[in-house]
Amino acid sequence: MATVKVSEAEKVYILHGIRDDLRVDGRGCEDYRHVEIETDVVSNTDGSAKVTLGYTAVLVGIKADIGKPKPMVPNEGYLEFFVDCSANATPEFEGRGGEELGTELSNTLYKVFNNKHSVDLKSLCISAGEHCWVLYVDVLLLQCDGNLYDAISIAIKAALFNTKIPRVHISADEEGGKEIELSDDPYDCMRLDVENVPCIVTLCKVGHRHVVDVTLQEKACSVASLIISVTHKGTITCTRKVGGGSLDPESIFEMTEAGKRVGKALHAPLMALLQQEESLGKKRQKVGFLG
Amino acid sequence: MLKSKTFVKKTRSGGVMKIVREHYLRDDIWCGSEACTECKQESTELLKDACIESNLCSFPHYLVPDTNVVLHQIDVLEDPVIRNVIILQTVLQEVRHRSAPVYKRLKDIIHEKEKHFYTFTNEHHRDTFIEREPGETANDRNDRAIRVAAKWYSQHLKKFEADTDGLCVVLLTNDQGNKQKAEESGLLVYRFEEYIKSLIANPELVDRLALSNNDKNEITSSKVLFPEHLPLSRIQSGIKSGSFLQGTFRASRDNYLEATVFVQGEGEDSTEVLIQGLQNLNRAVHQDVVAVQLLPRNQWVAPSSVVLQDEGAAKDDAVEEGEEEKALKISAAEAARKPTGKVVGVIKRNWRPFCGMLNISQIKESTRHLFTPADRRIPRIRIETRQASTLAGQRIMVAIDGWPKSSRYPNGHFVRSLGGAGEKDTEQEVLLLEHDVPHQAFSQAVLSFLPKMPWAITPEDMAKREDLRHLTVCSVDPPGCTDIDDALHCRELENGNLEVGVHIADVTHFIRPGNALDKEAANRGTTVYLCGKRIDMVPELLSSNLCSLRSNVERLAFSCIWEMNQKAEILKTRFTKSVINSKASLTYAEAQMRIDDVTKNDETTKSLRGLNKLAKILKRGRIEKGALTLSSLEVRFHIDSETHDPIDLQTKELMETNSMVEEFMLLANISVAQKIYDEFPECAMLRKHPAPPPSNYDILLKAAKSKDVEIHTDSAKALADSLDVAKVDGFPYFNTLLRILATRCMMQAVYFCSGMDSDFHHYGLASPIYTHFTSPIRRYADIIVHRLLAVAIGADSTYPDLMDKHKHTDKHKQSALSNNLNYRHKMSQYAQRASVAFHTQLFFKNRGILNEEGFVLFVRKNAIIVLIPKFGLEGTVFFDSKDKTGPNLVFDEEGPTLSVEQHAFHIFDKVKVTISLDASNIQHQKIRMALIDPVIPGVSVPAPDVEPLAKKPKIDS
Repeated sequence: MATVKVSEAEKVYILHGIRDDLRVDGRGCEDYRHVEIETDVVSNTDGSAKVTLGYTAVLVGIKADIGKPKPMVPNEGYLEFFVDCSANATPEFEGRGGEELGTELSNTLYKVFNNKHSVDLKSLCISAGEHCWVLYVDVLLLQCDGNLYDAISIAIKAALFNTKIPRVHISADEEGGKEIELSDDPYDCMRLDVENVPCIVTLCKVGHRHVVDVTLQEKACSVASLIISVTHKGTITCTRKVGGGSLDPESIFEMTEAGKRVGKALHAPLMALLQQEESLGKKRQKVGFLG
Repeated sequence: MLKSKTFVKKTRSGGVMKIVREHYLRDDIWCGSEACTECKQESTELLKDACIESNLCSFPHYLVPDTNVVLHQIDVLEDPVIRNVIILQTVLQEVRHRSAPVYKRLKDIIHEKEKHFYTFTNEHHRDTFIEREPGETANDRNDRAIRVAAKWYSQHLKKFEADTDGLCVVLLTNDQGNKQKAEESGLLVYRFEEYIKSLIANPELVDRLALSNNDKNEITSSKVLFPEHLPLSRIQSGIKSGSFLQGTFRASRDNYLEATVFVQGEGEDSTEVLIQGLQNLNRAVHQDVVAVQLLPRNQWVAPSSVVLQDEGAAKDDAVEEGEEEKALKISAAEAARKPTGKVVGVIKRNWRPFCGMLNISQIKESTRHLFTPADRRIPRIRIETRQASTLAGQRIMVAIDGWPKSSRYPNGHFVRSLGGAGEKDTEQEVLLLEHDVPHQAFSQAVLSFLPKMPWAITPEDMAKREDLRHLTVCSVDPPGCTDIDDALHCRELENGNLEVGVHIADVTHFIRPGNALDKEAANRGTTVYLCGKRIDMVPELLSSNLCSLRSNVERLAFSCIWEMNQKAEILKTRFTKSVINSKASLTYAEAQMRIDDVTKNDETTKSLRGLNKLAKILKRGRIEKGALTLSSLEVRFHIDSETHDPIDLQTKELMETNSMVEEFMLLANISVAQKIYDEFPECAMLRKHPAPPPSNYDILLKAAKSKDVEIHTDSAKALADSLDVAKVDGFPYFNTLLRILATRCMMQAVYFCSGMDSDFHHYGLASPIYTHFTSPIRRYADIIVHRLLAVAIGADSTYPDLMDKHKHTDKHKQSALSNNLNYRHKMSQYAQRASVAFHTQLFFKNRGILNEEGFVLFVRKNAIIVLIPKFGLEGTVFFDSKDKTGPNLVFDEEGPTLSVEQHAFHIFDKVKVTISLDASNIQHQKIRMALIDPVIPGVSVPAPDVEPLAKKPKIDS
């Protein structure tokens, strides 16, 4: 993970600020930085989104492909995750430097998103036991300025919202052999229900308090953080502790409660924003990467 | 401005791929009109005064046809009257997607300067590009694109209204919905028929209109005659599951109610399915790719041996059908049943314009007539024309538009007239078209690859080649030959051995791989020799000049040089590119005279004698190995130099020199075949001649047995030996007849790619390996062989296609190429035969009735086939006729003999016949033979008085 070196004096300054609910950039403990979202940014994916959170920037592209369902769940499709830590983000990722982080991130993403409670996997099934849609979720880190999990989860939710899967129908011949047929209308496609897709809220224990959306400096002052994925109803679907330090049960409880609160508050404006963008249709001004 | 086009595609592995194409819009696409002063175009296609006499639009106008109009009415668009047409890119792309032949024709029209067709790239024009809307089908989108472009034009042209007499655009579409929408948006729009009918000055165009769907309904009764064709999806799933078979439909030549479907199986395993009866044939036309369903085994039938022709006037659909099919049923009771099926759907129509003639309808005012194609396998076609009286007696071309299930005949339209039937030029055109021989003049693109004249051998060429100009090389060919592709030399070496060289024109020096010239030659495959006409494979500059090894000029050659001892054993073989200077181009007769003339002792003659001597030894050796000497009668016409009518014909004479040249060509071919196979075992172009299956010899064995002669067919050697000893006293012609029969038993020799096959044997020549190397001017296979050999000896560079040979059949280039060459070769032979047959008819037309002696070659159920050696002519003497009850016929298959009343005919019987030209059917004029001797009452005819040339008909002046 990208790190910055923070001097002792700086650390004290940050710690004391957080104790008084005032962070270096003026935010309170449960405030996010400025978030920007744009969907449909990569034309040759089926769904894509770009999210910037402070200076953290991630790009998520989703490709839908036809595959075979897993034998255990023959009537469900599944998701595959790959996180690419571009050396653009930080020089540490050069070569194979980002691999470990990438694996760690994608493992968490599997846990959070690849289950039928988060995404309606049944709708991805084409014919039970034979064909299903596999969504390849590719995450590209463009810039790292802390709080990667949250940024990635928002981007994934936005990209899933944006995903248009071509509609297929199965034509069966007399012998029961099945043939997949594609509609020739590019507008004829299926959308995913993203209502239950959770967002990740990372809470960082700094001193005796915990903060959300840490910057790299704040992160350097923390020893442990808790990753909580929360749905729009405030249901927690997954928690994970990262970092070397320990957390006492009481603060875990506190952090979970805070995560629920923050997560719930995050979903509503996100969905509103996505729907608003969608409603613009072709009139939408595209920003892209140079805007 | 950048847009992107997105579409989803299924990949071969079953996945789905989203494909995004970038699409750039421009503002520098000009309108192409002469009237326009705004566009900064360099040249214009569309004329300012685009006037055509139409009573719908009296003002100048440009036409904008939509896709379906172009696809179906290309015949009309090709007419020189139709000019100033805007072809939108949308239309062009759709046409290209839907029909390659129409696309090619459209491209040709666009390239023609006088037609003033302009392609407007509306898809890239900033103002005319449109994106597909949600819920819009691809076709609707294209229709809209066409309307938008037409609208743009009309607004664009309006700006110059002042000085153009109201020039505007007219959209032509047959789509009702499209037309309505266009009218709503204020465009001038007509249905194509409507517009063409309004062209008062050119009523003949109406005939060429293809029938659109609405018209087809009017023309036929509503009664459904044929079962519906299944939709393609059902057919495909049926084929996959094995309940249907896919194959090529081959109509029978003799029986219009019968056809076979050739089903290509895995590898050698192909089957034929018999189809009988109109219902089962279900509107399939010869060469269509169809899906057939096998009938239950108890409904299987045997192919009938009756000859049935669809005759009579346009039967009003299925009146006499019961009767027609009765004739079939009788024979169906016999044994030897074959898998029988019915056509359930057509996968791909293979319709092309057909040559033929019109049967004028008996009803005078009728505009609907039946058209009888020259090819008997094609059903008659109903067309609509008002110029029937002019077209009667002409050969015309007609295209099929469709075959509704309620119509007895397919519907079509008139394409063009080829000229009067029976005229030589017309007939020649017909037989070239019918045999699919590409015979157009070479295009500019092809000619541009010819060397610039005057041409001379450059020092660079010289440096890379062996200088053999000092050798006494000469060529020996038939008289009048201008494409000399081989020359020979022979000289004694100091060590007493002989050096023999075969020098072949170096065509590959001029035809480089992959260019237009090469592609054209590869497509033509072979030069076609008709009587009095040659259809060249390569342009004349090469075939008759630069590549032709004429005497006393320096020519590039590819030489194959052997060192032989006096016993004609090869001691050394080498191949080299060379420069030669032929000392003499002789005819076979001239060469023979030189050899025989003991007083001549010049270098050339000595060389010829040496060659002749060696050739005799080689030939003996070959025959000992079992090479066959077969016989087929070839005739040559003496053609009148002015009228080009045949005035006499003679069978080809063979001289020693013929076989001398042949012997060395064979030797060269074999040596080259060995060399290229050694060098490129995977991709050598070879020629094989498979041994015929034993059953092929049945007729030969039976025939010989009837004369108490035994023929052994266990091997080529045995066959050759037994043919040599087969003689009957007092019947000198017997041996030749036997050899003619043996020829008919043989298989076709074919080109193939060595990596694709394991059996290389050439049966007829008794050679383990063979190829064609010696005639690159007239055969494309030789060009490939030249290139392979050149690479093998390091004289030329290779190129990817030459070595291309994947394991999958037909996909790879060389095998596909050899398939084309085999096809062209076969078709050129058919065309040659047809040309000879036509000239024979001309000859007999001029000669009146003749009485000749002939031999029975085959005995059939109701006829004997007679060969007249004098003319090399084969004809059929029928013993039954349609109208009256025939004589008592008894056919014995064992003999085979045919007893007519009291007389029994055997193979090889000598008969006397009278020959006349039967011109009652002008389309299929044929030689009619009638029996004179032996005299059988009621069957034979009295010998007519022969007055040769007495009533010589007027020759076409």
